[in-house]
Amino acid sequence: MLEVTNLHARLNDGREILRGIDLSVKAGEVHAIMGPNGSGKSTLAAVLAGREGYEVSEGSVSYLGRDLLVMPADERAREGLFLAFQYPIEIPGVNNMYFLRTALNAQRRHRGEPELDAGQFLRIVRARLKLLDIGEDLLQRAVNVGFSGGEKKRNEILQMAMLEPRLAILDETDSGLDIDALKLVARGVNEQRSPERAIVVITHYQRLLDYVEPDRVHVLQRGRIIQSGDKALAVELERRGYGAAEEAA
Amino acid sequence: MNAVVDFPVRPEARPYLEAFGRDSLARAGREPDWLTGYRKGSLARFAEFGFPSRRSEAWRYLDLRALEQRPMLPAGAQRGGISAQIRAQLAEMALGRPAYRLVLVDGRLAPALSALEGLPPGVWLGSMAAAITERPELVRAGFEALSLDAARPFAALNTAFFADGFVLDIEPGVVVERPVEIIHLSSGAAQGGSLHTRGLIAAGERARASVIESFAGAGHYWRNDVIELNLAAGAELTRVALIEEAAEAWHFGEMLATLGAGASLSSFVMLLAGRTVRHETTVRSEGEASRCELNGAFLLSGRQEANILTTVEHAAAGGETREVFKGVATGRAHGAFQGRITVRPGAQRVDAHQLSRNLVLGPHASIDTKPELEICADDVKCSHGAAVGDLDEAALFYLRARGIPDEQARRMLIEAFVREAVELVGTPLMREHLLQRISRRLASSEE
Ligand SMILES: Nc1ncnc2c1ncn2[C@@H]1O[C@H](COP(=O)(O)OP(=O)(O)OP(=O)(O)O)[C@@H](O)[C@H]1O
Ligand SMILES: [Mg+2]
Repeated sequence: MLEVTNLHARLNDGREILRGIDLSVKAGEVHAIMGPNGSGKSTLAAVLAGREGYEVSEGSVSYLGRDLLVMPADERAREGLFLAFQYPIEIPGVNNMYFLRTALNAQRRHRGEPELDAGQFLRIVRARLKLLDIGEDLLQRAVNVGFSGGEKKRNEILQMAMLEPRLAILDETDSGLDIDALKLVARGVNEQRSPERAIVVITHYQRLLDYVEPDRVHVLQRGRIIQSGDKALAVELERRGYGAAEEAA
Repeated sequence: MNAVVDFPVRPEARPYLEAFGRDSLARAGREPDWLTGYRKGSLARFAEFGFPSRRSEAWRYLDLRALEQRPMLPAGAQRGGISAQIRAQLAEMALGRPAYRLVLVDGRLAPALSALEGLPPGVWLGSMAAAITERPELVRAGFEALSLDAARPFAALNTAFFADGFVLDIEPGVVVERPVEIIHLSSGAAQGGSLHTRGLIAAGERARASVIESFAGAGHYWRNDVIELNLAAGAELTRVALIEEAAEAWHFGEMLATLGAGASLSSFVMLLAGRTVRHETTVRSEGEASRCELNGAFLLSGRQEANILTTVEHAAAGGETREVFKGVATGRAHGAFQGRITVRPGAQRVDAHQLSRNLVLGPHASIDTKPELEICADDVKCSHGAAVGDLDEAALFYLRARGIPDEQARRMLIEAFVREAVELVGTPLMREHLLQRISRRLASSEE
């Protein structure tokens, strides 16, 4: 589903943040990416989602057999790539419900499916809200404006649940959540698990991985994946820290 | 033809002077002498001032050369019935729900399209032409009060030529619950001509009403509208102007308001369509503790030019002013906001705040914003803020990252930006109507 080969990316000021990433994710798999602060995890997610401001100087990314890097961000999303933001953006004046419906309809249009009217949409979104235990009032407010940290994360998961992506990249969706919210997020992720879909979770904590069992765990450090393994690697990292991983590499 | 001209005449004013002379025969006998007197006096002022030059502060942002070189003379009354096109315009512009409605087609009352039944006792709503006969004192007082200084040459031209308009007169203590809508349409018959309309709203003590004036039309015309608002002590008035003129049309709107003690004016101006659109508001706060809320927005594309001006003059103590203006320009459009707040000596405890926020999208669009505070009292709170910027890149990426196409995402953010100002309109029916017109406009204008 996703093949990242020797990916190098730098900022406009020339600083290289990603320094040769190799990553292969197959349909049906869940991968976890861990790594210290500033190692380039969010940058990798941003480059995959198509955020401007990074220059890919080397390497390639293929997604569903296509060259991902030539596709604009909105097209990537319509092709089923989803990024749950580490820091979801506040958009004053845009109603959350309207935003979600517009996004879903843009994707449905792209797939040749009929658009949903407000009533049809409401029925679907209500079912998802219930599943994720999210209050309906969140939908009546402007996108992420005045949301608590946990509400923002839940809102990301709600969007994922509505859009049903092929490949979901969750950037620290578990950070700043209380234990109940964490279980909810995990439930949302597990709901998405299927043989046709793949999920990449970026996390600092073993805790999420107790609920969402990864097939592979990778350690990203200074712009490179320095170690990969199964879920036992996450347990070891939790115990011994990244220093040990670096020595082992 | 016309009487001996014993005053200096600027060349660009001459065609209008001649037109006035040609019409004088038709006017004679139909109008009271006092009105003819005001018309002649105003024409003389216009002839003397001519068109404002760009050196004049109030006109520095508009290019009037096209108008100056090719006179757009007042259009005569149109014969014939109501066209399908006018009905379509009306259907677009009218509020969805019951309102008292007065429709002017090509600057004159269209009784067949108006709905004036069921007005509460103590409320007079009718055409300006009718008011001149039925309420001469009220109309006269308005002309008396209007100062025709050099900065307002087109208000003078309006006095000389207005054919019709409307008057809303509310007795003290009367509350008009339903919205009042005044709809100005143009059939296109005035091709190359000008339409001069005159409005007057007099709200007695503690009277209350909300009025929306919508402007739309077809063809190439110049609408020159003047409206006076008189709020007696404790009166509360909402006035919304929705300017959605034909793509080739010019629109100048001049609003002059006087506020009595404790009176409250809430104004919103939405500039959506028209080749060159200017709206100027002048508020005189004459009574203590009056409140004035002036908000508005312009949304420009193509080669549109627009200018919103506000002047609030606090002549009495304890007044409050709140202003929020939003501007958006794309393509080769140019917008300008000029906001002046004056606090006269002795007008203590005035509290005034002005905010002008603008989005300039693309390398060829531009917006000027010019706040001006002139404060001659010491115990006052006055502040202003102005910003010109681009769309929030992070927000744009967030929308696109959910699959929303770039163009649509940009429209959503522009709409959200303007919406923040529109939300300040207190009458839900009008607010919804404005939002609907804005999203229609955004959907139809591919930048
Ligand atoms: N747009 C940007 N402008 C400036 N610096 C950037 C930008 N994007 C990334 N960086 C820098 O690149 C490095 C990697 O950042 P990134 O956000 O990818 O780290 P991370 O692994 O996600 O860290 P964390 O665990 O703290 O979220 C950091 O030093 C960061 O400051
Ligand atoms: Mg990060």
